[in-house]
Amino acid sequence: MERFTFVQKFFLYLGIAVFLTFILLPFFEMFMTSLRPLEHLFRSPYQFWSDDMSFQAYFDIWDTVPLLGRYIFNSVFLASVTTFLCMMFVIPAAYSFARFKFKGKTISLSLFLGVNMFAGAVLLIPLYKLLRSMGLLNTYAAMFVPGAAFLVPTGIWLLKAYLEKIPIELEESAWIDGASRMYILRRVVLPLAVPGLIVVGVASFIGAYAQQFLFAITFNQKREYMPLPAGIFEFVGYQSVIWNQLMAASIVGIIPVLIIFLFLQKYLVEGLTKGAVKG
Amino acid sequence: MATVSLKSINKLFDTTQVLYDVSLDIEDKEFVVFVGPSGCGKTTLLRIIAGLEEATSGEIEIDGIEVSKAHPIERGISMVFQSYALYPHLNVYENIAFPLRVAKLHKTEIEKMVQRAAETLKLTDRLQYKPGQLSGGQRQRVAIGRSIVRNPKVFLFDEPLSNLDAALRGEMRVELSKLHKNLDTTMIYVTHDQVEAMTMADRIVVISEGKLEQFGTPMELYHRPESKFVAGFIGHPKMNFLSVPRLSINSSGVTVDLPEIGEQLLPVDAIDMIDGQKIEVGIRPEDLMLSATETGLPMKVEVLERLGGSTLVYGSVHDNQNFCALLPGDTNVREEEIIKLAVNPANVHVFDSKGTAMKRREVPIV
Ligand SMILES: Nc1ncnc2c1ncn2[C@@H]1O[C@H](COP(=O)(O)OP(=O)(O)OP(=O)(O)O)[C@@H](O)[C@H]1O
Ligand SMILES: [Mg+2]
Repeated sequence: MERFTFVQKFFLYLGIAVFLTFILLPFFEMFMTSLRPLEHLFRSPYQFWSDDMSFQAYFDIWDTVPLLGRYIFNSVFLASVTTFLCMMFVIPAAYSFARFKFKGKTISLSLFLGVNMFAGAVLLIPLYKLLRSMGLLNTYAAMFVPGAAFLVPTGIWLLKAYLEKIPIELEESAWIDGASRMYILRRVVLPLAVPGLIVVGVASFIGAYAQQFLFAITFNQKREYMPLPAGIFEFVGYQSVIWNQLMAASIVGIIPVLIIFLFLQKYLVEGLTKGAVKG
Repeated sequence: MATVSLKSINKLFDTTQVLYDVSLDIEDKEFVVFVGPSGCGKTTLLRIIAGLEEATSGEIEIDGIEVSKAHPIERGISMVFQSYALYPHLNVYENIAFPLRVAKLHKTEIEKMVQRAAETLKLTDRLQYKPGQLSGGQRQRVAIGRSIVRNPKVFLFDEPLSNLDAALRGEMRVELSKLHKNLDTTMIYVTHDQVEAMTMADRIVVISEGKLEQFGTPMELYHRPESKFVAGFIGHPKMNFLSVPRLSINSSGVTVDLPEIGEQLLPVDAIDMIDGQKIEVGIRPEDLMLSATETGLPMKVEVLERLGGSTLVYGSVHDNQNFCALLPGDTNVREEEIIKLAVNPANVHVFDSKGTAMKRREVPIV
C-alpha cells in the first residue's frame, strides 16, 4: 500500500531537495574552491569550471602549515576527551535524576537547563580567571574541562529521558536477586541504554567539536595544543588568505568526524526514533 | 521452611492510605492467594513482603525473624513480576543465570543449576533465545525459572498469568500447582481472578479497598463468607442479592418475606439489628432450582446461555435486574418467560445492613 500519492511524493522530494541544497551547497562550494588555483578564485567573471583545477592544495597544506596534522589530531583528541569526561558525569547524574527521589531534584534540573541559556562567551572572563588560578591555562585541560562542563546539562536531559523509558521492573527484579546499584547500572541499565548513550555521546562530540574554537583562542596560546578550527587561521596571512588551502584543510579536518558518523548513523537514527525498550 | 506473618501493616503513599491494618499468618509450604478487585492494594502488599516497598507501620516476620528493614535477599524471597521483567539483552540462559551470577557462584555450578531449572520448565531447547523471540507462555516460564534457581524460601507472584490467553492460562494454572508440589515451598500469589484463587490456593486472602476481608480455604470462603463483599467476589457466576422485608428475629433464625414465596425462616445465627425493616439475602445461582410447585421466586428470563451440561439463566427478580440461576442443561425455559425458582432456606446467606454475614447453621463440613 502506498502511503502517499504521486503528487504528494513529488512535493515531499522537492522540499527535501531544496532543504538539502541549502545545507550542502556551502560544502560543495568549499570543495570546489579547494580544487581551484588561487588566481582562479579572483578571476572575473566567476568561472565554475576550469582546466587548471587540481588536488594540488591538498598536498600544499602540509607545507604551508607544518603543524596541520597535529591540529587535526588535537581536534579529535580534545573532542573525544571532552565527550568521555562529559559522559562520566552524565551517566550517573542522568540515572539518579531518572530513578531517585531527592530534595531539590526539580530545581537542580531546571538550573541545568538555565545554564544552557548562557552562551559560553558570557562566562569566558570568569572562566579565564578560574583556569588561571588553577594553573590550567595553556594546557589541553583548559579546553576540555570547560568544554565538558558546558555539555553536561544537555547530556543529562537527553539521557534522563531515555533512561526513564527502561521499565523499572527490570531494575527491581535485579534488586530482588541481590544485585547492587552499580551492578544493576552496569549489567542491566547501560546495555539497554546503548542507543541513548550513542545519541548523547554523538551530541556531546558535535558540541565539543563546535565549541573548541572559542576555548582554544581564549585559554590557550601554545601552538602545539591548538585544535583545527583555531590552527586553520594560519592560512590567513598578513597580506593574503590562501583560500584554496584553507578549504582543503577544513575538508581534511572534517573527514575523521564524518567517518565516525557514518558508522554510528544507524544507531543515531534508531536512538532518536525508537521508543521504549520492550520487556 | 518458611512461615510469613504480617502484623498490622499500614501503608500510605503521601497522604492516601492504601493498606489498613493488615495482619496475616501464612504457614510453611502454603500456597496463599491474594485476591481482590483492581486497585485494592494486592501488589502493594506483595511488594512490602518482597522488600521493594516499606510499610508505613507494622512488622513482617519470615520464619519468625523480623525482616521489615531487610534486603530482599536476606528475606529469602524471589518474585515474578506481572510484566515478567526479563532482560531483553540477555538470552534465556543468562536471564535464568542472573541471580546466580550476582551471587558469584562458580561457572560449573551455575551451568548445573540453570540446566536443572530449564528442565523443570521445559526450556532446554530455548536457552540461546532472546526473550523477544519467545511466546508469552515461554517468557512466563523463563521468569519463573529465574525465580526458582536460587532456591528461595518464599515465592512471590504478581498476576503472572494475566498476559496469557485463556487456554494457556488454564494450562499454566495446573503447571504452577505442580511446581508448588515439587518445590514444596511457601508461595504467595496475587491475582484479581477468583477462578485462579479458587483452583490454586490452599488458603485465600480476600482484600477490598486495602482491608483484609477474609482469610480462609477456598471452600470456607465459598460456604461461609463473612461479608457481602466476599460472598459476591468468590464463586462464579456471582451470588444474587435481594433486599427483602424482615419479619422477625429469634433464636432459630431470621424470618423474611421473600417475593411471592412469603414468610420464610432462614436458619442463621441472627445478629439483632434495630435499624431498618429490610435485610439483604444472598443466593448462589447454583443453589437455585425450578420450583416443583406454583410458588417460587418469580424470575423474568431475559438471556439464556446454554452451556450443554448446564444452563445459565439471566433475568430480573424483584428489585434485582441481574439475577442469575444455574439450572440443568436440558431445562425447558424460554426467553421472556416468567419462571418460578425455589431454594433450600439453609443455603440462603443473610447480611446485616453493614454487609456482615450472619452465620449459617447448616453448612457442609469443609
Ligand atoms: N507508587 C505509588 N504512589 C502512589 N500511589 C500508589 C503507588 N502504587 C500504588 N498506588 C495506589 O495504591 C493503590 C493500590 O495499588 P496496587 O497496585 O497495590 O493495586 P492492585 O490491587 O495490585 O491492583 P491491580 O489488580 O490493578 O494490579 C492504588 O489506588 C494505587 O493508585
Ligand atoms: Mg497489581
